[in-house]
Amino acid sequence: MTARLDSPLKVTGRARYGSDHNPPGMVFGYVVLSTVAHGEVTAMDVTAVRDAPGVLAVYTPFESLELHTPHNPIMGATWVPLQDTDVAYRGQPIGFVVAETFEQARDAASLVEVSYRERTPLTSLEDGLAAAEDAPPSMDGSPHTVTVLASGVESIEDALAASPVVVEATYTTAPQNHAAMEPHSAVAVWESGTLTVYSGNQGSDLQAASLAQALAEPLSAVHAVNPFVGGAFGGKGATSVPAFLAAAAARDLGRPVKAALTREQVFTATGTRAATVQRLALGAEKDGTLVALRHDSWSSTPMSRAFIEQTSHSTSREWYTTPNMVISQKMVPLNIPPTTFMRAPGEAPGSFALESAIDELAVELGMDPIELRRRNSSLAPPGKDLQWSSKHLDECFGIGAERFGWSQRSEGGRVDGDWLVGLGTATAMFPALRFPASVRVTLNADDTAEVATSGADPGTGLLSVLSLIGADSLDIAPERVTPRLGDSALPSGGMSGGSTATASAGSAIMVAAPEVIDELLTLAAAPGAPFEGAEVSYADGRVLATDGRSLTFGEVLRAVDRSSIAAVGSSAPGEEMSKHSFSSFGAQFCEVRVHRWTREVRVSRMLGVFDAGRIINEQPARSQLMGGMIWGVSAALHEGMEIEADGRLANGDFASYLIPVNADIPDVDVQFVQYPDTLHNPVGARGVGEIGIVGVAAAIANAVFNATGTRVRNIPIAIEDLLDE
Amino acid sequence: MDISLQINGKSERLSVEPGVTLLDALRERLDVTGPKKGCDRGQCGACTVHVGGRPVLACLTLAATVREPVTTVEGLASGDDLHPVQQAFVDQDALQCGFCTSGQIMSAVAAVEQDVPDVREFMSGNLCRCSAYPNIVAAVDQVRGADASV
Ligand code: FES
Ligand code: FES
Repeated sequence: MTARLDSPLKVTGRARYGSDHNPPGMVFGYVVLSTVAHGEVTAMDVTAVRDAPGVLAVYTPFESLELHTPHNPIMGATWVPLQDTDVAYRGQPIGFVVAETFEQARDAASLVEVSYRERTPLTSLEDGLAAAEDAPPSMDGSPHTVTVLASGVESIEDALAASPVVVEATYTTAPQNHAAMEPHSAVAVWESGTLTVYSGNQGSDLQAASLAQALAEPLSAVHAVNPFVGGAFGGKGATSVPAFLAAAAARDLGRPVKAALTREQVFTATGTRAATVQRLALGAEKDGTLVALRHDSWSSTPMSRAFIEQTSHSTSREWYTTPNMVISQKMVPLNIPPTTFMRAPGEAPGSFALESAIDELAVELGMDPIELRRRNSSLAPPGKDLQWSSKHLDECFGIGAERFGWSQRSEGGRVDGDWLVGLGTATAMFPALRFPASVRVTLNADDTAEVATSGADPGTGLLSVLSLIGADSLDIAPERVTPRLGDSALPSGGMSGGSTATASAGSAIMVAAPEVIDELLTLAAAPGAPFEGAEVSYADGRVLATDGRSLTFGEVLRAVDRSSIAAVGSSAPGEEMSKHSFSSFGAQFCEVRVHRWTREVRVSRMLGVFDAGRIINEQPARSQLMGGMIWGVSAALHEGMEIEADGRLANGDFASYLIPVNADIPDVDVQFVQYPDTLHNPVGARGVGEIGIVGVAAAIANAVFNATGTRVRNIPIAIEDLLDE
Repeated sequence: MDISLQINGKSERLSVEPGVTLLDALRERLDVTGPKKGCDRGQCGACTVHVGGRPVLACLTLAATVREPVTTVEGLASGDDLHPVQQAFVDQDALQCGFCTSGQIMSAVAAVEQDVPDVREFMSGNLCRCSAYPNIVAAVDQVRGADASV
């Protein structure tokens, strides 16, 4: 077991996050947000602001910093602030005040007088359903509606009508904010024509590229540094507003600029998870065999229509075997803050609906819900030929049922004093993906090695993974490997997102390491080198000759007078995609206690058993899965953005946007079944960042039903949902 | 106004506006960046430091009102030796991104020193969005267990 390598820096306060940088001469920027949800800024009176103490500059759409819309392959276009006067949501950045101190910038920003031409905002998903638009194709290119019908079946309606048992229900999920503990922030420094930006982000090279595009500077002039990121969860995939503004203002003023969003600003000026409505219909034989599945989804989306939470495509498309399936995705554009990727985008809210519906079907059939899931387990996504590369979901359920005491569960739950106790379960799935990544592996003359990539470790443990896979590939102890990341000057590691970093960077290491070893052997046997002309091989950090002689790689390098040698390896998704379907799997179990009188819901036990391929570093992997599961508790019982009719966020701070605190969380049991998936990538790991959250909200709602007999089809579940009429 | 602060055993003199918080004085004037700003409103605990040995929220404390010595997460370790609570956070993997960690550790030190009856309740003023909560409790228990066995 290897500890998280950056823990010593983090527990002593020595890890410097973006806003912990204080270069000499630095000044402070403060972002100004719109106070209406829809309309146009007609004027901004900044006279008082300019006269305020310490103020150096005020930027508005009328006196703006020039910024161009950047594009990247993963995030698409990123919105840049202050380029026009349109207001599409309340809390949209419309100004930036820079002053000598933080307090001066903040106080001066409160003096900005804004005039608007207001228009009536659309803010209610429910009201907008009737006017919903078809969603654009999903990320894998599938159209908004996918239909799979058995031959001879005319329509999904026919298939449902012919099903002996049918359940139909509509589920809703609340919009959410990532609420990473580190607010989006940046420190920007221009020095001799080069910009260095310290800003927490999920990929330093992508951030550098987007800043270069936004500022119309060559990529070589922008350096993004973020070895520590204070939580991301999808919310730091795009370059943030403070990063754009700090960079542009620093160039304009010739001084380093620090800018951070306040916690309240983070809720609207970054990204959020969309609200969803999902209508499900399941048709089954009396023995539980699914014969028809219909899953219609609606997602809120900002007026830019930039991001849709794809719930049916992310779940029902693949999870169960069924001869007849129709899924659809629509979107409802609203005057709401931007939506974006958030931990298990699509799968998290989608699994609440699908896995609740499966539980409802089990109740209707009088069948054990695990048995029902086993019976309909898919070998391949419906209508596709490509089978799952490695699927051990039944084993996850078997281990889980045993560990959790599932056989003790009774219909109607049990009573413990004033508490009604129920058990619930759900399936978790998350696709196994890879992004292109490059890693440099260096052998040094002092017998150490370095593994370096620009990717980010926002708490995932990637830093330790680099050292472990590096050590494995070089056949040396991990202590001799220095991992480096979070710097755009390093080979492009891409985005830490989609649970891909281990598989992507790990595969690249496994390309780079043999290359650098080959170079070492060539050097070792070259004329004048210690093994001149000999047949050599490599093991255990040493070059070995057939005659029994051996030297460490450091000794070889010193002998040939080289301080180091390096190779860069790259990997990307390849032909495996045409041979199999890839996903991780898991079985979620929850026990809840609902108070008989107050209807308070407490989660008292949780277990997740996961089939995520090979686990590289158990403790951080366990922690990350546990964190994901707790996010599921949060979604089920705590968090949801409450957007009022005028577009104001009613609970945009940590006092009123509820996320679990320590006392809300019981012990969480995380188990793995480990089947390395080398059909997917040479490392055999499929990633654990997101699957932990998937299914948990449904498992909790199902447990609440078991305890109380009340089926709640919305999250977060509130006390009101459990009061008797 | 001119004030003087005792930070991790060092005397610091500085000139601040009356409205400057202890958190901003530490982070922006003294380059003591272990304490973090997660909310600036007393709602997250990321800024927790000790003043006169008691945990306080540095974002809700005006720098000019501080008379007693201040200890931040930087002041816990002696040389290369981690404070037992810091070591327990490493051992129990009680952090992921680490942004809440300095505040968690300052509260955890107080939990150990005060021998609080309910660790989960006591630690509930420190949010952790990475949700390392069970491991944070395990870290406090590790230190308390070690104390008990002495
Ligand atoms: S920053 Fe002080 S409590 Fe959040
Ligand atoms: S470790 Fe990330 S917020 Fe606690």
